[in-house]
Amino acid sequence: MQSRWDIGEPEKPTINKDTEQLKSELLTLNMGPQHPATHGVLRIEIWTDSEVVAHAIPHLGYLHRCMEKHAENLDYRGVIPFVDRLDYLAAMNMEWTYVAAVEKMLGTEVPRRGELIRIMTAELQRIASHLMAFGTYALDLGAFTPFLYAFEEREKILRLFEEVSGARLLYNYIWIGGVWNDWTDEQLARVSAFCDTMEEEAKKYNELVSMNKIFVQRTANVGIFSLQDCFDYGATGPVLRGSGMKWDLRKNAPYSLYSEFDFDVPVGEAELGQVGDCWNRYYVRMKEVIQSIRIIRQVLEKLEPGSVMGKVPKVIKLPKGEVYMRHECPRGELGIHLVSEGDSKQPYRLKVKSPCFTHTSMLPRIAPGQMIADFVASVGSIDIVLGEVDR
Amino acid sequence: MSTAVEQNSSFKNYFSGLFNGISTTLKGMWITFRYVWAVKPVSIEYPEVREVLPERARMRLFNDSQNCISCTQCAMACPVDCIYIASEKLPEGSEIKKTSNGQAIRLKLTQFTIDTALCCYCGLCTTVCPTECLTHSHDYEFSQYTIDTMKYDYLAPDVKAWRDRIVKV
Repeated sequence: MQSRWDIGEPEKPTINKDTEQLKSELLTLNMGPQHPATHGVLRIEIWTDSEVVAHAIPHLGYLHRCMEKHAENLDYRGVIPFVDRLDYLAAMNMEWTYVAAVEKMLGTEVPRRGELIRIMTAELQRIASHLMAFGTYALDLGAFTPFLYAFEEREKILRLFEEVSGARLLYNYIWIGGVWNDWTDEQLARVSAFCDTMEEEAKKYNELVSMNKIFVQRTANVGIFSLQDCFDYGATGPVLRGSGMKWDLRKNAPYSLYSEFDFDVPVGEAELGQVGDCWNRYYVRMKEVIQSIRIIRQVLEKLEPGSVMGKVPKVIKLPKGEVYMRHECPRGELGIHLVSEGDSKQPYRLKVKSPCFTHTSMLPRIAPGQMIADFVASVGSIDIVLGEVDR
Repeated sequence: MSTAVEQNSSFKNYFSGLFNGISTTLKGMWITFRYVWAVKPVSIEYPEVREVLPERARMRLFNDSQNCISCTQCAMACPVDCIYIASEKLPEGSEIKKTSNGQAIRLKLTQFTIDTALCCYCGLCTTVCPTECLTHSHDYEFSQYTIDTMKYDYLAPDVKAWRDRIVKV
């Protein structure tokens, strides 16, 4: 049994004192690539001693689409549809990060209404993404119904996005210089109505799933990342906040107009379980939904009529140089490193720093000593999207 | 913070946990049970009932070849290169037609093919079109048995019927 990475013989887990005495060999199992609990095509090679995981090795690359290399042969506008496909559940945030990087090099001024609409779409997308995380996490743990409830609300957001951009998942909506289309008053009224129902729904979800005894037993005190682990691996987003660190780029390094907004950064407070476990990571997301609603309400108050698209040259050519732009996406900190050679229509290099990739690399850290069912809960709680891991 | 095992060890914790389990389960079941009468179904029975698509919905591309000036801007904007355009010079002395928004057609379009299997429906080609002849139609039911038939030739005579083709029951 030789792995690709020579890590030596893993220690046998010592959970059960009865089996400790028995001589048994570790069994290699493949979880995935098409396992419903792995959220896409992630293959995890797990070495198990009966029900207990001794070691887990994530194998990546099943969804590799060569996006970074493709981007080197496309003009700056043409990259946006490819950036969409990184994290297909939060495409708006992905677009915005890339577009912000280009705008920073280009020195484009985005009109205030355009910037506010960007914030609103990004927060709506965050809600949609967290709803998906909530639904699929319940699905991982064997509850099918919450998935349908989450999709009912998510559908309203997707319908709004479809009306303004034309697509339901891969929008190509946030453009260099602004956004493609303006929102009508009727659509904004529906956003406002959505915020009201979403608050009610969030309470319902908490009653149905978050506080449910079975769910709590499955997730609380399971898969604990200490704060030191998070620093060592470079975790960001809800994983870091679930471990008790109050770090959010919207607050700590405000980009766009986020400094004008009043919102809290939820952290894992161990209402149940302990800080850094699956339940706290999950519950941070539920609390973030409420904060996103607060931001959207403030956007709706601040919106004034105006242009949504700034002045951009017809053919975009960036000056020589490079830029690193990072935004707070639903799954963590997305970084876009863009290098331009100058006087070229295409980027010289586009490197994506993906939060999910970091979080996937943390799986071997929590796997040893866990039951297989708990490992499934741990994989679900870090909420990875493989499109972003493999790129 | 105590672990789950320690919580269960005490007699009092055992019964409070039991009560907590039953009450939260009943609460959840009540939420689900309310869906029997209090919440209207939101799902659509697809082939019989169809959702009305928004105006901007980006479905299969359609090119109105009468208005096309063969400028190839759409082919250049396309990030996946799925638009194939060929054109030739008009013969000497032939009449120069005009598009519906008044642009002169100086080239004869000989090929306009879109590989819809390759298309990523990003909409970049439609935004650069100067005569707005390339648009997204609302036709989303065009699956085929072979990948060759996904190539749509917009100079074919029967293609005009596709513009408004939304399969109706």
